[in-house]
Amino acid sequence: MARETRTAFARDTGLQTRMLLTMFLLGLLYAAFVGALLYAGVGAVLMVVIVGGLALAQLFTSDKLALASVGAKEVTPAQAPGLHALIERLCIQADLPKPKICVADTPVPNAFAMGRSQKKAVVCATTGLMNTLSPSELEGVMAHELSHVKNRDVLVMTVASFFATIASMISQFGLFFGGGFGGGGGDDEDGGLPFLAIILISFIVYAISFVLILALSRYREFSADRGAALVTGRPSALSSALVKIQNQMEHTPQQDLRAAGNMNAFFIVPTSVKSAVQTVFSTHPAMEKRLARLQQLEQQLQGTAV
Amino acid sequence: MGFLDALLGGKKKLKAPAPDRLFAMTTAQVAFETSLGLKHRDVAGIVFQPLATADFNSIVTETNDLLRGAAEDTGTTVESADDEFGYRWMILRDVDFDDLVVSLNLVSTQLQGSGYGDRILAAVFVFEESGKRVYFIYNFKRGAYYPFVPVGRQERDTEHELRLMAQVGTELPLEQEIDRRLPLWEIPL
Repeated sequence: MARETRTAFARDTGLQTRMLLTMFLLGLLYAAFVGALLYAGVGAVLMVVIVGGLALAQLFTSDKLALASVGAKEVTPAQAPGLHALIERLCIQADLPKPKICVADTPVPNAFAMGRSQKKAVVCATTGLMNTLSPSELEGVMAHELSHVKNRDVLVMTVASFFATIASMISQFGLFFGGGFGGGGGDDEDGGLPFLAIILISFIVYAISFVLILALSRYREFSADRGAALVTGRPSALSSALVKIQNQMEHTPQQDLRAAGNMNAFFIVPTSVKSAVQTVFSTHPAMEKRLARLQQLEQQLQGTAV
Repeated sequence: MGFLDALLGGKKKLKAPAPDRLFAMTTAQVAFETSLGLKHRDVAGIVFQPLATADFNSIVTETNDLLRGAAEDTGTTVESADDEFGYRWMILRDVDFDDLVVSLNLVSTQLQGSGYGDRILAAVFVFEESGKRVYFIYNFKRGAYYPFVPVGRQERDTEHELRLMAQVGTELPLEQEIDRRLPLWEIPL
């Protein structure tokens, strides 16, 4: 059988390059940080073991915690037949095993995906989302979430956050104990960095990695939008869903927004609309940019791209 | 999917169809009828996502014309139906089971040849076992078959399906992962 000769969508090499660069910079930063720690001769091994354990615990429990924090419950096919049928078809199309399907009973229209692997994946939609969107728009949003599953975004983001977590923990230790366990001994004289310097480094590391992780998160969002367009073949349906969700959120009471605030990184559209304007510090790309990319995809699909 | 794909946010294309094992049904059907008492119905379908583009529409029209042209030899009739999930079905009817498989293959090769192979969801065969409807779904991306026995609204008879899997044995390339034997509700066949 002949291999596929053409595809409806072109590659986005620019996006991939930027993503790779971000990850490279993150890695470089961590390497420098670990080097500094070792040079200073702090109990680095012990610290990494402890924090590593915490990171693993986070990886294995984050889905349950996240689901619990938004009050999401798993639904059977009998309880949500439409949602199940829609996701089942997308799974055939995206070549994924069927994930667990949850619904959160809140008027805020949103959706997220969780789980460290494709087999353990959970996708969640809110009742607000299902009431607001048309079937093809809902399909676009769920395809976006399934793309996160396919791209293993939860795993990637957890690993990316791991070192930033180490850095922030050391900073906090430093603030609480004021260098109490670093000084006093003779070790410092063997060319080790003073404890204050380590705290300073960890602060800087955390600050930079924070911005980089956010950038990575935004790139993954673009990727998931693209994946959704690919799986459904309807980029414009996702566009119109994003616009609807955005509009709906601006008219939703502030209390609901705050309650969902800590879940931002995993939602399809961040709930704090105001902060989303400051692009560098948001987990999601600006809405106009996402719509512009989807528009590009639609043009490629229609064969009218310039 | 490779490590780099995971790192860079996934493949930029959907998975291409697996090597074609559609024709395995032609021989399996004979065994179905003689040893399992599974009687085929004179209908089969192929379901795909219609893209709202001029190019895609012209391919579909072309495929329809080809099928109608071939119908003079085979006697296969074809009709299209859009389901409530926005997918399009091409429903083929023929008393000759082999002709049904050939016509299904014509549709899939036509779409694959024009670069739209990744839009095909599945092919569906309909059988009857002591008055009960039994479907065999062929997932093009996996190159594998699995039985699907719906009962009532979005419920499936898993026991019956597992029994069929065991009975069919090596006659067909079967889907081995249970969470990939995804149902297709409201099959218009």
